[in-house]
Amino acid sequence: MSAAEEAVSTAREKGTREKGTARFGHTELPEEQRRALRKAVKWEWITIVFLALSTFLVYLVLGNSQAMKAAWIEDLLSFLPPISFLVATRVIRRRPSETHPYGYHRAVGVAHLVAAVALVVMGAYLIVDSGIGLITAEHPTIGAVTLLGNTFWLGWLMVLAMLLTAGPPVVLGIIKMKLAKTLHDKVLYADADMNKADWMTALSAAVGVLGIGVGLWWADSVAALLISTSILRDGIKNLRGAVGGLTDTRARTYDDSRPDPVGERIDSYLRSLSWVREARSRVRDEGHVFHVESFVVPRKWPRATLRRLEKARDACVEMDWKVQDMVIVPVAELPEEFLPGLATSGSEIP
Amino acid sequence: MLKIRAAVSGLALLLGLTSCGITIPQDPEGTLKKVSEGVLRVGVSENAQWVQLPPAGEPEGIEPGLVREFADTLDATIEWVPGAEHELADDLRHGELDLAIGGFGADTPWIEEAGITRPYTETTNERGETVKHVMLVPLGENAFLLELDQFLQSQEVAL
Repeated sequence: MSAAEEAVSTAREKGTREKGTARFGHTELPEEQRRALRKAVKWEWITIVFLALSTFLVYLVLGNSQAMKAAWIEDLLSFLPPISFLVATRVIRRRPSETHPYGYHRAVGVAHLVAAVALVVMGAYLIVDSGIGLITAEHPTIGAVTLLGNTFWLGWLMVLAMLLTAGPPVVLGIIKMKLAKTLHDKVLYADADMNKADWMTALSAAVGVLGIGVGLWWADSVAALLISTSILRDGIKNLRGAVGGLTDTRARTYDDSRPDPVGERIDSYLRSLSWVREARSRVRDEGHVFHVESFVVPRKWPRATLRRLEKARDACVEMDWKVQDMVIVPVAELPEEFLPGLATSGSEIP
Repeated sequence: MLKIRAAVSGLALLLGLTSCGITIPQDPEGTLKKVSEGVLRVGVSENAQWVQLPPAGEPEGIEPGLVREFADTLDATIEWVPGAEHELADDLRHGELDLAIGGFGADTPWIEEAGITRPYTETTNERGETVKHVMLVPLGENAFLLELDQFLQSQEVAL
C-alpha cells in the first residue's frame, strides 16, 4: 500500500468513526450550528406528524368544495420540504470521496428543486381546475353529515377543520425560520416561509365554504383560485432559488435577500495583509457551505511565501463555519475571465 | 396584506350575516323556498321495489313513499316526471327537476349532473356487494339537500 492510499484509507476510517457527529461533509459544525441542526431535525419531524394529522382530518371532511381540495393538496405538498430537508441532512453528512470531491452538499439543491417543481405543477393544475369550475358555473354541492345521531351541514365541519389547522403551522414556521438563518439552509427557509403563510390558505378555504353556505356558489372557486395562486407563487419563488443555487449563482444570504457578506469580508481581510496588493474572491453556495476561490496578487516584498498563503487560508476558514472548501490562488494580475465585473467596479460587484 | 384583509373582512361579513338570522346553508337557486307550499318536481325511473310505475295512477314503491312523506313535511304537491336515468340527470342539471329517484346507488355515475344525498339505507346485491341507496338533487342546492338528508336520516326504511 502506498503512502497516498494509506492516507485515503485512514481518512475513510475516520469518516466512518465520525459518522455520528454533526458535520456537513468535511465541515465540522460549531456548537451553535450543531444545536440548531438537532432542533431543526426535531421540528421537521414535528411538522411531519402535524401534517399527517391535519391532512387526515381535512380528508375526512373534504366533500365537494374546490377550496377545500386546494387546501388539502397544499397540505399534501407541504410534506415535501420537511422530507427533503431530512433526507438532505443525511446525505450531506457524507465526507467528500474520490467520485464526489466537492462533497454531497448539492443534495440540498436537488431536494429544493424537486419540492419547487411539485409546487409549480400542482399550483398550475389547481388554477386551471378552479378556473374551469368558475367559468362553467359549477355549483358545489355540500350535503349533510350524521355525527352522534345529529344530521347537520358538512360545511360546518369543514370550517372547523380549517380553523383548527390554521394556527399550528404559523408557530412551526416562526421557529424554523430562526433555525434556517443559523444553519444557512434554504430548504428549511422555504419550508418555514410556506408554513408561515399557511393560515391564509386555511382562512380562504373557510371563507369559501361559508360562501357556499350563504348561497354564493362562486365563493368556493374564488377561494380555490386564491389558494392555488399562492401555491404557484411559492413554487416559482422556490424554483428560482433552487435553480439559482444549482447554477452557481453568487452566494447569497439564507433568505436570498442580499449577497452573503462573507465574500466581502474575505476580500478585505486578504487585502489588509502586508504581502497582498490586490485580492478578489468568487463564492458559490454548495448548500449550507460555500466554495471559495480567492485570487491574490502578491507584492514583490514581503514575498508570498507558502507559509503566508497557508496562514491566510486558515484565517479565512476560521472566519465563518460556512467557509471550509477554500483555495487561494496567487496570480500576477486579477483574472477578469473568472471575476466578471472587475473592470467596472472597485471591490464590490453592484 | 390585501388578501389577509379581504379574508378577514369576508369572514366577518359571513359571521355577521349568520347572526342576522340567515340560515346556513342557503340555495343559490332557492329550491327549498320554491317547493315549500309549492310544487315538488320529482323525476322517477323504474327500478325493482324502489320505484314502480303502474300503467295508470301514481308511482309506487319504497322511494315514492318516502318522497310523499317528505313532500308532506314541506306542504308541497308532487309533480311526477317519468324518464330514463340520463334524462332525469339532464333535467336536474338544467333546473327542470327538484329531485330524482330510481333506486340510485351512492356510486351513481351522475355526480357531474346532480348532487347526491347521504345513503339512507343499504342492501346487498346478487354479487354480495353492499349498495348504498341515495336520491339525486340539483347541484349546489344545499339547503334543500340538507332538508332532505335530515328527513331521510330520520326514517326507518322497511325493505
